[in-house]
Amino acid sequence: MSVAAQSELGLTRARSARWAPALASLLALLLIAATAEIVIDGAAGHSALIPKSPAIAGWLAGLGEPLGYRVFLIAMLLAAGAYGGLLALLRRTGAPAVSKHGAIALIGALHLIVFAGPVLLSTDVFSYIAYARMGVEHGLNPYLHGPASISHDPVFYYVGHVWRHVATAYGPLYTLLSYPFAPLGVEGALWGMKLLAQLASVGTLVLIWRCARVRGFDPVAAILAVGANPLYIVYGLGGAHNDLLMMLLMMVAVSLTLIGTPGARREAEAAAVVVAGALVKATVAVLLPFMILSRRRLAPIVGALAAVLLGGLIAYAAFGVHGVDIVAALNRDAAFVSTDSFANEIAHLFGKPGVFPVDHDLLKAGLVLIVLHLMWRTWRGYDWISASGWTLLAISVTSTWLLAWYILWPLPLAVISRDRRLIAATLFVQAMFVLHQIAPLLAPVQ
Amino acid sequence: MSAGPPTSAAGAREPWGWLPQRLRPREAELPGSGRQWLIETTLLVLVGVLLAVATFNDVARQTGVNERLIADIATWRAYTGHPYHDLGVDQELLGANSRHEVVCGNTVPGAPKAKTQICLLVWGPVVAGRRTVHGGWYLPPRSEDARSERYGCFGSARAAGMCPP
Repeated sequence: MSVAAQSELGLTRARSARWAPALASLLALLLIAATAEIVIDGAAGHSALIPKSPAIAGWLAGLGEPLGYRVFLIAMLLAAGAYGGLLALLRRTGAPAVSKHGAIALIGALHLIVFAGPVLLSTDVFSYIAYARMGVEHGLNPYLHGPASISHDPVFYYVGHVWRHVATAYGPLYTLLSYPFAPLGVEGALWGMKLLAQLASVGTLVLIWRCARVRGFDPVAAILAVGANPLYIVYGLGGAHNDLLMMLLMMVAVSLTLIGTPGARREAEAAAVVVAGALVKATVAVLLPFMILSRRRLAPIVGALAAVLLGGLIAYAAFGVHGVDIVAALNRDAAFVSTDSFANEIAHLFGKPGVFPVDHDLLKAGLVLIVLHLMWRTWRGYDWISASGWTLLAISVTSTWLLAWYILWPLPLAVISRDRRLIAATLFVQAMFVLHQIAPLLAPVQ
Repeated sequence: MSAGPPTSAAGAREPWGWLPQRLRPREAELPGSGRQWLIETTLLVLVGVLLAVATFNDVARQTGVNERLIADIATWRAYTGHPYHDLGVDQELLGANSRHEVVCGNTVPGAPKAKTQICLLVWGPVVAGRRTVHGGWYLPPRSEDARSERYGCFGSARAAGMCPP
C-alpha cells in the first residue's frame, strides 16, 4: 500500500472514529426502544402473540396497547435493522465504535427489559413447568404422559393446545433440573425459568467473550452479535427457552477445548459436557463427532461414554426406560411441519400444498450428505467448531419443524468460527426467517 | 523425515501411518488452490438464492391469501347485509390452490355457528374490495360444514350437487 493510500485510509478511519460511536449509540437506542415496545405492548393484555400467562408483568400493563401483528413486525424489522447496522458499523470502522462497557450496557438493558416483561411468543415454558409439576407434585412420569394428565393443575390452563397430550421431548437432565421449580407454584416457577434463561444467556456470553479473545476475534463484536440479536432476545430470552441452557453447555464444551492448557483430561471433560448438553436438548450432540475427529484421541470418546453411562443410569433411575429413549421423541417431532420452515416454503414455491413424506426423507438424506462432507473436512484439518456450526445451521434449514429459537443454535459458534462464511450464512437465514413473518404487515386481516 | 504436508502420520510409526496419504488426518488444512472453497461457496450462494426466492414467494403467497380473505369477508357482508366479524373461511374445500373459497356465517346475530348459517362460494378477481358470489347453501344451527348437513343449495353449488338430494 502506498503512503498516500495509507494516509487516506487513516483519514477515513479518523473520520469514522468521530461519528461511529454516535451512530452506534443511536442504533443501540433503537434496538432498546423496539424491544421495549414489544415488551410493554405485550404486557398490556390480550394478544395473539402473547401466550396466556399469570400476570407477572401487570405493573407494565397500563403503559401500552395490546400487542398487534403490525406493531410487533415493525418493531422486529426496526430491531433487525438496528442490529444489522450495528454489526456493519463494527465491521466497517475496525475501531471500537462500541466500547466494552457500551456493549455490556446494551446487552444488559435488553436482557432486563425482557426479564421484566411477559412471556413472549411461545407457550413452551409452561410445558417445562407442567412436566416438572407432573413429576414432583403428581408423581407422574413426564416421559409417559402429556400435561393433559394433570388437567386439574393450575399450569394446565397455560400449556399450548398442541402440546397438551404430548410427553416431554426434552432430555432427562433438563427435566431433573426443572424439578426444583415445581413446588414454587406456576408464577414462582415461571420466574425461576425466566431467571434460568437469563443466567444461561449471561454464561454463554461470558464464554463467547473468552473464546473470541483466544481465537483473535473482537470479543465486543462477538457478544453483540449474539447478545443483541433480536431473535435471541425476543424469541429466545422472551420465551425463556431451554435452548439457552443447551447453548451454555455447548459453549462450556467449546471453551474447555480452547481455553487453558490442552490435554486429555480437558478433552474428556469437553466431550462429557457435550453429552450433558444433549441430555438437556439432544441437538447439541452433533458437536461430538467433530470434536472426536479433530482430536483423534481416546480421551473425548472415553469422556463421552462415561457421561452417557452416568446420564443413562440417572435417567433410567428417575424415569425408567422411556427417559433414555430420546430418539423416539426426536423422531416424533421430526414429523411435524411448521409454516415457517424453509422446506414448507420451497414446497409452496414448486406448487405443492406442503411437505410430503418423501420430502422428509430427501431432507434427511441431504442433511446426512452435509454432515459426512463436514466430517471428512474436519478429519482433514477443518475447524471442528465451524463444522459443528454448519451442522446446526443445516439442521435448522432442513428441519420441517422450524421455530425461531432453532436458528439461534449455530450463532455462538458462528461468532468464534474461523470460517467467516458461517456467520454470514447464519445471519442470512435469520433475516429470511424475519422477512417471512411480514405478510400480515402487507395485507392485515381484520 | 521429509518436509511433506502437515499430516499427523507422516511415517509408519504414526497412528494413522497405515492409511494412504490422501486419507490421513491433518492438524490443519492445506492452503490449496481454493477450488474446494469456490465450490462450497457457489453451492452456499445457490442455496441462499433458493431460500430467498422461496421466502419472497411465500410472503407474496401469504399476502395474496390475506387479500383474498379480506375480500371474501367483505363479499359475505355485502351479500348478506350483516356486518358480522365471526365468519369462517374455508380455503381447502374447493381445492387448496383453486383460489375458490367458502365463507360461512350466521344468518341472525348469535355466537359463531349457534344460528342457521349461510355459506357462500366465492371466487374471481378482487374488484373494489369484493369478489363474486357463485352460489352457496345453508347449514342448521350448531353444525359443521359437512355435505349431509347442507340444504337449500343455490347457484353453482346446486349445479355441482353439493347438497344431498
